[in-house]
Amino acid sequence: MKFLIKIGDKEYTIEILEEENEIKIKVGEKEFIFKKEEEVFLAKTKFEKREFKEKKILAPIAGIISEIFVKEGDFVKEGQKLFLLSAMKMENEILSDFEGKVKKIFVKKGENVKKDQILLIGE
Amino acid sequence: MKILEFEKLESTQKKAKEIVKEAEPWTVVLAKEQKGGYGRKGNFWYSPRGGLYFSVILPETKIEDLQILTILAAFCVAKILKEDFNLKPFIKLPNDVYVNGKKICGILTENIIFGKEVKNSIIGIGLNTNIEKFPKDLENVATSIKIELKKEVDNKELMKKIFEELKEKLEIIS
Repeated sequence: MKFLIKIGDKEYTIEILEEENEIKIKVGEKEFIFKKEEEVFLAKTKFEKREFKEKKILAPIAGIISEIFVKEGDFVKEGQKLFLLSAMKMENEILSDFEGKVKKIFVKKGENVKKDQILLIGE
Repeated sequence: MKILEFEKLESTQKKAKEIVKEAEPWTVVLAKEQKGGYGRKGNFWYSPRGGLYFSVILPETKIEDLQILTILAAFCVAKILKEDFNLKPFIKLPNDVYVNGKKICGILTENIIFGKEVKNSIIGIGLNTNIEKFPKDLENVATSIKIELKKEVDNKELMKKIFEELKEKLEIIS
């Protein structure tokens, strides 16, 4: 496989040659040789798996939003108090399970909410 | 059952919330007096010496079960008032207990929810036991066991009894 790349005004001819036990990459006159074993090893290396948690807060139960402790644009830490939700003689303090910026708040103080209704999303 | 007893607290609920992370489930916070006792929506709960004020740190429980437990707590208190004290309690659903048209007991559950998970739950009970007299603005709306029966009750024994009933109820429903 042979191709040409252009960086700025300079052109490079790149040639990749696959031989039995090695891979040869030629850049102009320079040759880089990689053993195939190394290729296997490299193939095994992956980026660390990161779990992207959805930054979304839902109403755990139906009730009335009696307090909102943050506003859009605020930076919140994990465990920070976001809402107070009053439901049938229960007061529920809803804490953030993410760290980040409050992107949007979908409810107002005094509003009735249903179970699983989205209250807030973060980013 | 571990009881943390205090002479005076701002509020047993508040104290329980402070210690909830380190405390064992079923720990009880008991105070002889509260300076800032509160009910739902932060409503003030008159808490002079003589009354029974306690909060129970509950084990991890589903939110729906906690709601049932809160309502059942009123039944537990009413049952004891009826069976042990021969009073005629009336439950104002979901969970206030009245005697002779006046409030005698209030119950409040507070949950701390981390994202979607119920992390901690505390149920607080304020029961007017040995309160001799209420201030003018409350005397027509509140009563106590002492006012009704002219006798004193052992607050700690009564607390233990309510506690056992609560524990049994939660085991049944969850």
